[in-house]
Amino acid sequence: MCRSAYNMVLHKYGEKLYNGLESTMTWRLKEISKSIEAAQGGLFLEELNAKWMDHNKALQMIRDILMYMDRTYVPTSHRTPVHELGLNLWRDHIIHYPMIHGRLLDTLLDLIHRERMGEVINRGLMRSITKMLMDLGPAVYQDDFEKPFLEVSASFYSGESQEFIECCDCGNYLKKAERRLNEEMERVSHYLDAGSEAKITSVVEKEMIANHMHRLVHMENSGLVNMLIDDKYEDLGRMYTLFRRVPDGLSTIRDMMTSYLRETGKHLVTDPERLKDPVEFVQCLLNEKDKHDKIINVAFGNDKTFQNALNSSFEFFINLNNRSPEFISLYVDDKLRKGLKGATEEDVEGILDKVMMLFRYLQEKDVFEKYYKQHLAKRLLSGKTVSDDAERSMIVKLKTECGYQFTSKLEGMFTDMKTSQDTMQDFYAKKSEELGDGPTLDVHILTTGSWPTQPSPPCSLPPEILAVCEKFRGYYLGTHSGRRLTWQTNMGTADIKATFGKSQKHELNVSTYQMCVLMLFNTSDGLSYKDIEQATEIPSTDLKRCLQSLACVKGKNVLRKEPMSKDISEDDTFYFNDKFTSKLVKVKIGTVVAAKESEPEKQETRQRVEEDRKPQIEAAIVRIMKSRRVLDHNSIVSEVTKQLQARFLPNPVIIKKRIESLIEREFLERDKADRKLYRYLA
Amino acid sequence: MIMVEGTSQLCNDLLVDPQDVVMLVISWHMKAATMCEFTRQEFIDGLQSIGVDSIEKLREKLPSLRAEIKDDNKFREIYNFAFAWAREKGQKSLPLETAIGMWRLLFAERHWPLIDHWCQFLQVRHNKAISRDTWSQLLEFVKTIDPQLSNYDEEGAWPYLIDEFVEYLTENGCVQRNK
Repeated sequence: MCRSAYNMVLHKYGEKLYNGLESTMTWRLKEISKSIEAAQGGLFLEELNAKWMDHNKALQMIRDILMYMDRTYVPTSHRTPVHELGLNLWRDHIIHYPMIHGRLLDTLLDLIHRERMGEVINRGLMRSITKMLMDLGPAVYQDDFEKPFLEVSASFYSGESQEFIECCDCGNYLKKAERRLNEEMERVSHYLDAGSEAKITSVVEKEMIANHMHRLVHMENSGLVNMLIDDKYEDLGRMYTLFRRVPDGLSTIRDMMTSYLRETGKHLVTDPERLKDPVEFVQCLLNEKDKHDKIINVAFGNDKTFQNALNSSFEFFINLNNRSPEFISLYVDDKLRKGLKGATEEDVEGILDKVMMLFRYLQEKDVFEKYYKQHLAKRLLSGKTVSDDAERSMIVKLKTECGYQFTSKLEGMFTDMKTSQDTMQDFYAKKSEELGDGPTLDVHILTTGSWPTQPSPPCSLPPEILAVCEKFRGYYLGTHSGRRLTWQTNMGTADIKATFGKSQKHELNVSTYQMCVLMLFNTSDGLSYKDIEQATEIPSTDLKRCLQSLACVKGKNVLRKEPMSKDISEDDTFYFNDKFTSKLVKVKIGTVVAAKESEPEKQETRQRVEEDRKPQIEAAIVRIMKSRRVLDHNSIVSEVTKQLQARFLPNPVIIKKRIESLIEREFLERDKADRKLYRYLA
Repeated sequence: MIMVEGTSQLCNDLLVDPQDVVMLVISWHMKAATMCEFTRQEFIDGLQSIGVDSIEKLREKLPSLRAEIKDDNKFREIYNFAFAWAREKGQKSLPLETAIGMWRLLFAERHWPLIDHWCQFLQVRHNKAISRDTWSQLLEFVKTIDPQLSNYDEEGAWPYLIDEFVEYLTENGCVQRNK
């Protein structure tokens, strides 16, 4: 047959051959179409498939036979190549045959629907049919199957998602959505063209996820917030993976999380119950941070944008309470004082690093610095620190975060402690003969600039103490001429041996003030408040507090007060309490522990902070103007803010006042032409 | 040196009240350093600048001197001159009482509707001396901002005291501002 065909073409009968082929095929196909049409029910598809297989085989043979014509006649006469012709005819006379066209589509869609509803279908057959459509041309696949398939799927999932969302909770809904998504992907891999995957998944994503995003996230009792509260890592992970597929999906989750965090955080920092215990308060903050860090890590794949949202939320609410800096410092104080006792170096680093995270959120870092200094001073002076290494480690972390300036004074405090030790050793080495049997002195010499400023109110020391103090002063000024020493009697402690009753010996650990009061009772059994006040010269508020701790506290009442009322009044009389007993040999009565400031103390500290800020703001203004020479008001404000924001957020009104002060002192002037411009005056 | 009694005498001779604003104008011409004091040089140079050489001629010139206040440029110069002139020797700022007195005097001639509110505000809220910058910026404020404050700009780098004044006016309902 090949040869005949070959001959025909050779003898210019190509056209006749071609036309004959076309008409024969057409006629044959029309017959086939009838037989397919006649197929009943389920056999329809099988019949179609079978006939397609036959047709393909035939086409192959025909192509082989008519190869010469395909190569010579067809191109020159611009006719469709044989194989393609065969496909086109199939398309036109079978697929697009009205009795078959609609039925084919309906059958395919029906089968898919049934599979979605749980039935098992003949996937092999489906594969074959869709492959046939693709072979006929992507346009055929798309127009005659894919487009309607997508439309039908959209309405299917639209309905199903509506049904689910009415009856499912968020977690279960997401499970179903995920399952459907996976099903569709599997469907494509088994019997649809690969190009359909992106399209069908996008339909499912839109109908099941995108259209219901807000409702899901906000669902009462099962939505995002509940998942966060209950640490539902799996559900959250699923939500993240699914929502990531749709536009604005992740931002929807993120925004909800942010507003939830801000709400919760705000309640936390403004709840008066919580604020009663600063250490607990900070621990709560740390716990919240840990909890959400874990969620972002486990369920949200450590997504940076979520990490940022967490950070910005914390920064927002921590600064709503202006006592946060003080409380964080108290937390560190608690840990360094006792909380970290027995902890490994790793544990210590871990806790301090977590605290540093909170520290970074603070806008008023200079307030923190002030409190940290105060608390550190108390720790150092009372010797109450769990580990020197831990203290140092914290300083290093602060230095890394804020620079040398922040920590130079703190480091100075440590240096002073060490130097004092050396000084005391030398003092006793040189002067032990002179001192003989007197009380043992342990002096901490504090460099004024490094330690928190304290007033040094008057106080009359007992003669024995005064004597040895003067010896020390003489010794010290001998080796450090040009310096001035002031005793800080409100910061010292003393250990006194006392004998009660028959011969109960105790060692009392007291504050310097308390010592002054108690020593008076060496020479008198009873003294009035006024006597004590006159003899010790201690200021009345401090004296009252001191007497209260000596006479009114159960288990520590080394003095007896008449009348036995709760408060100290100026008419009271005090007696040495011979009947005092305690199970402990060493009794601690002194109080030098850092505690939450009272309201007036807090006001005072805040005032000092504000005063400290003024020169910093001025220095920044001068620095900026010196380099820019001429600058307008708003630019100065934003530059100053930028320069200082690592320590605190300067108030624009204060900046303005400082500018005016600098104008007054002739550092700056207003520009003659433009009053909004300032000039630096060299 | 002409001191307080001398100045008083001068006023008598000129038939003017010592509180008369024309004395300020004359002092300005003389570039007098301090209120109620004239050095010999200041006095002579001043008379020369006014263009007179006798008290009688000076008396005749009084109306035209008073009129100088109406001139915008001269008013600005006189206004700014007044600050240093009214100061105590060796002081940088102007005591509040004096400042208020000067303002009333100056703005009596150049009508400013808010002058009473301004003085009241200072007495109630400020109670401190007035800096040079505040003094000179107030004139700018009077000249450029309308009494209803419709063109007042918070970002306008006005001295803090003036910002406070605007707040005060808004709080007391003297002006309507949409924030």
